[in-house]
Amino acid sequence: MTVEAPVFTRGQLATRWARQNLFRTPFDAVLSVVFGGLGLYLIFRAILFVFVNARWGIISSNLKLLMIGRWPGDHVLRVAVAVAVLALWGGLIGGWIAGRQRRANISAAAAMRTTQRIGDLARRFGLMIGTVVLLLFLTETAGPWLTAIGMGVAGFAGYWIGRQIGRRTLGKWVGRLLVLVLASIPIATYFYMVSAHPLGEWEGFLFNMTAAAAGIILCFPLGVLLALGRRSKLPLLKSMSIAYIEFVRGSPLFVLLLLANVSLEFFVPESLAPSKPIRAIVTFTLFTAAYLAEIVRGGLQSVPRGQEEAAKALGLSPTKQMFLIVLPQALRNVIPAQIGQFISLFKDTTLAGAALGILDLLAGAEAITSQPDFVGQGLIIESLVFVAFMFWVGSFTMSRESQRLEKRLGVGVR
Amino acid sequence: MTDSNQTVFADATQVHGDAVIEMNHVDKLFGAFQALTDINLKVARQEVVVIIGPSGSGKSTLIRCINRLEEHDAGRILVDGIELSEDVKNIQEIRRETGMVFQSFNLFPHLTVIDNITLAPRQVRRMPKKEAEALAMELLERVRIPEQAKKYPLQLSGGQQQRVAIARSLAMKPKVMLFDEPTSALDPEMVGEVLDTMKDLAREGMTMIVVTHEMGFAREVADRVVFMADGQIVEVGTPDHFFQNPQEDRTKLFLSQIL
Repeated sequence: MTVEAPVFTRGQLATRWARQNLFRTPFDAVLSVVFGGLGLYLIFRAILFVFVNARWGIISSNLKLLMIGRWPGDHVLRVAVAVAVLALWGGLIGGWIAGRQRRANISAAAAMRTTQRIGDLARRFGLMIGTVVLLLFLTETAGPWLTAIGMGVAGFAGYWIGRQIGRRTLGKWVGRLLVLVLASIPIATYFYMVSAHPLGEWEGFLFNMTAAAAGIILCFPLGVLLALGRRSKLPLLKSMSIAYIEFVRGSPLFVLLLLANVSLEFFVPESLAPSKPIRAIVTFTLFTAAYLAEIVRGGLQSVPRGQEEAAKALGLSPTKQMFLIVLPQALRNVIPAQIGQFISLFKDTTLAGAALGILDLLAGAEAITSQPDFVGQGLIIESLVFVAFMFWVGSFTMSRESQRLEKRLGVGVR
Repeated sequence: MTDSNQTVFADATQVHGDAVIEMNHVDKLFGAFQALTDINLKVARQEVVVIIGPSGSGKSTLIRCINRLEEHDAGRILVDGIELSEDVKNIQEIRRETGMVFQSFNLFPHLTVIDNITLAPRQVRRMPKKEAEALAMELLERVRIPEQAKKYPLQLSGGQQQRVAIARSLAMKPKVMLFDEPTSALDPEMVGEVLDTMKDLAREGMTMIVVTHEMGFAREVADRVVFMADGQIVEVGTPDHFFQNPQEDRTKLFLSQIL
């Protein structure tokens, strides 16, 4: 005889779940009611503020200032072109990787249908795309719309082209040429932009993003070298690395930024002194490198000794033991911590406004509350909420991508 | 005294036509602990030497000295006529000529099986990619797992991983293979497949030094068995002689404990 499985309605299941998870004991029930109620109240107040009470006019009429600062009107087109080129670039790289994985047959994406792929893309970048659309609705001109459409088209075109290239077997030299082209696209874009408006005058969210990107790219090799230096057997190199790391980690970033603002004049003549954004980028790089060095050192320690021994036994040189065997595993083991450091660098770029007087997103958001149209209306909350939201979108996307990267590189991890 | 020492020394260092490895009066210290004491061992070309002994007796340390994973403190070690010294060039040359298989496999988890095998030939011997991959596939055929080439090491069973590790060492076409307890970390049902691979190798004439607890393997394959205790070589003999008719009390005690 068979035992019939009891059939529950959806409502019964929900009740059972609630009883087991929320009201198991009287104490649980009290906690659930108190914190559930508090949570609902906070959500209600937040929604009320965002959709009813807040006066977002201050943001929409200053959107350009917040995003790209006082970028000269004649050259705004360059920003649009640059953004589209970078979208094309990102698409190319993403497509290339996808195509190569498809060829190697290791990609989960290869097994996905188009609808699943779009769903995957939406989960990864939906928040960012949604934010862009939201900002578009706040604009009063057509330029941003055209830019966004251009970005989308360029991104998809890049992805498609990249996939076609990735599926083919390339000769050694064609492959190298391609890498060179890919590496030179962002550099060329940078020069295309600074030739219209020097880096020294970049402002708004553009400054925050540029400083974060430059800081991340530059601090990475420096951090790795410092970590290796700290483990070196050469006493001078070792003690210098330790001294550097411990000094930088022992000072507040804000103080270092203030120092960068005033102390450089002691060492170089005024005419040679770098501009404020460059000082900020250098400080961010030097600061984050020290933290990254400690993260990488932890990663190096997590690689079993046997790995280095096997590499030695095969006759690999010490450099190759490190760069082909130990370091790749070490870096992979600490991806979450590395990305965490990069996220904090991204957010810390807001300190540059107060320390160096750069009109970044935060400084701009504060400044606009003193405009004649908005002064004395208590709009600082709207401004700050907007700034927080923009940084949250960037940080959250980075954090999600880090989890994805970790999973993807996790092939074969114990 | 000095005179007789001199003679022994001269005799031991004399390069015999077919000695691949010579260890003369080798000592090794870990801090104050003497791990190896006055080790003298010669291994001829195509010979299979099995080292056995209780744990902590210095077996692993001995073979790890041969490719300089451990630095010996006194005495001389020659591999294929090259003296192991501070000279980095010599160390690198000796490491190219000696393959090593570890107890815990030590495959590179971030590389596929085939990349594990082609890495050293390409990086150290500068072999072109195509040639290295052909060689790797040939070796994988030899250890009987060609179908696993594109997988990552940790997707394989322990026995398969150890066979990949053997193939990885063979890819450098070494003159000597060192095995450091190659089956100790394996589940019992996988020991056989690894030992079979090693037997194949011995049959093909590879010079091998094997640290192991597999007495069956020692009996069947070894040309000589070396018994170590407390960092010293206690007794050396052919398997028959060694297992049937051990001379030293220490050896008899050990054999009575394990057989």
